[in-house]
Amino acid sequence: MIEFEKVCKNYCTSQSKEPKAALKDASFKIKDGDFVILCGRSGAGKTTILKMISCEEKPTSGKVLFDKKDLGKVKKSDAYLIRHKIGFIFQDFKLLPYKTVFENIAYALETCDHDESKIKDEVDQVIELVGLEKKRNSFPNELSGGEQQRVSIARALIHRPEVILADEPTGNLDPYNTRDIIKILLKINEAGSTVILSTHDKEVVNALKKRVLTLQDGSIVRDEEEGVYFL
Amino acid sequence: MIKYIVKILKSGWNYLWRQGFLSFATSLVIFIAVVLGTVLIIFHGGASFMTGIIKDKIDISVYFNEQVSMDKILEVRDQLLKEKKEVIAKVDFVSSEDAYSAFTKDHNNDTYTQSLDAIGSNPFLPSLVVQTKDPAQYKVVSDYFRQDQFSELVYDVNDYRRGFAIERLSSLATGINRMGLAVTIFLSLIALIITFNTLRLSIYSQKEEIEIMRLVGAKNSFVRWPFLIQGALCGFIASILAFIVFLVVLFIFRGSLEQLFMGFNPFNFFISNILIILIAQLFIGVGLGLISSYFAVRRYLKD
Repeated sequence: MIEFEKVCKNYCTSQSKEPKAALKDASFKIKDGDFVILCGRSGAGKTTILKMISCEEKPTSGKVLFDKKDLGKVKKSDAYLIRHKIGFIFQDFKLLPYKTVFENIAYALETCDHDESKIKDEVDQVIELVGLEKKRNSFPNELSGGEQQRVSIARALIHRPEVILADEPTGNLDPYNTRDIIKILLKINEAGSTVILSTHDKEVVNALKKRVLTLQDGSIVRDEEEGVYFL
Repeated sequence: MIKYIVKILKSGWNYLWRQGFLSFATSLVIFIAVVLGTVLIIFHGGASFMTGIIKDKIDISVYFNEQVSMDKILEVRDQLLKEKKEVIAKVDFVSSEDAYSAFTKDHNNDTYTQSLDAIGSNPFLPSLVVQTKDPAQYKVVSDYFRQDQFSELVYDVNDYRRGFAIERLSSLATGINRMGLAVTIFLSLIALIITFNTLRLSIYSQKEEIEIMRLVGAKNSFVRWPFLIQGALCGFIASILAFIVFLVVLFIFRGSLEQLFMGFNPFNFFISNILIILIAQLFIGVGLGLISSYFAVRRYLKD
């Protein structure tokens, strides 16, 4: 379903004209329904992989295929068609600050032209699922970090995406909230969605016992089923 | 489609109220631009009024000999209108009686009137008072009456005495127009700078939101329209506010403003052009709101 073929990605920084390699010759395949952990230190290339899957970045060389579609050839204005198949969970939550909990979650459905009454029913169901009924009309700045992350997860789930991209979703959370979020991700995976989790949390990686792609300085150094944290 | 439009309008309206301070700041900046635009309109009205007054005061009097009949003078007038119609704005016949009564009216019982009484007869000659379309063309008229064919009829053309004054007044009228143009350019530049700053402010504050919207799966139009609606609403509020402020301020200071502008009453001008001014204010306000919002989001929606 998702395939990287000898993908390289170079960035030019504003300080130096010399391009810096964020990803070097990365090749791997992720099948439907997989749970894959991208593991590595900061700057290893985890986020670059997620950004290429979500069409935020294009590879400098090589191919990124999503359902056999070459993402390097997708125009920025057509990227929304790919993103309708993806749910995003971010470390800094990325909620829309001037929308309520309900509106933030509903926004993902509105972008897919869903019917108004259907949106209301589905959003209310998901809000109940993540336990935020009492915060339905609250704004993000009125929520705790754990609550904001649950809104972010609800927004990622609402349109039943094929793939969930979780970029360090537990980075800003305490151990209790971290455990809850990981449980939710496992449930999403059991329900059939592919989950790609980027993290450098050793305990999370070791506890999950899922496929682990380990990155170091832009290269994939290990690819193990039921892998462990190794850095 | 209607549901889509309603959704976008609702979204734009919510953004306007929820981004209270940003909306207020944007509206305030647009308000200043609308005020500048309105000042320009009123300034143009004032400039036209003043140049009109100056032009009205610029005329040439052609005095005819005492024995020339009124019919002959009117015939000369018709000939002038026919031959120099591209130059002439207005020609008035003033009989010697009219000139006498106008003089006595202007100099009611002063020494001039007493001297006139002492003469015992009407010393004023019949004349044609000519106004040209362009004050600079008075020479065409004076040269016309100095032709040989009129030497028996015309006693005097007063451009020798008035020529200097006419040229001064004419250059004053041109000066007012030039000043109007300079003020227009200056105020337009200020409005442009203000708009540009609004734009930068919008870009800075809305950058992350636009990125989130796109990541969640919104297509470009779905991201763009609520921002455009929000900008247009800010412009609408700014325009209405500017309209009310002008109405109240010009009404309160109508007396002193009329004195200041030598007879031009900005309040009367505002009232007599109220619809045009309101439309112009809405055009400036809503237009600036739309344009600044458009440019604010455009950068992040490019391929």
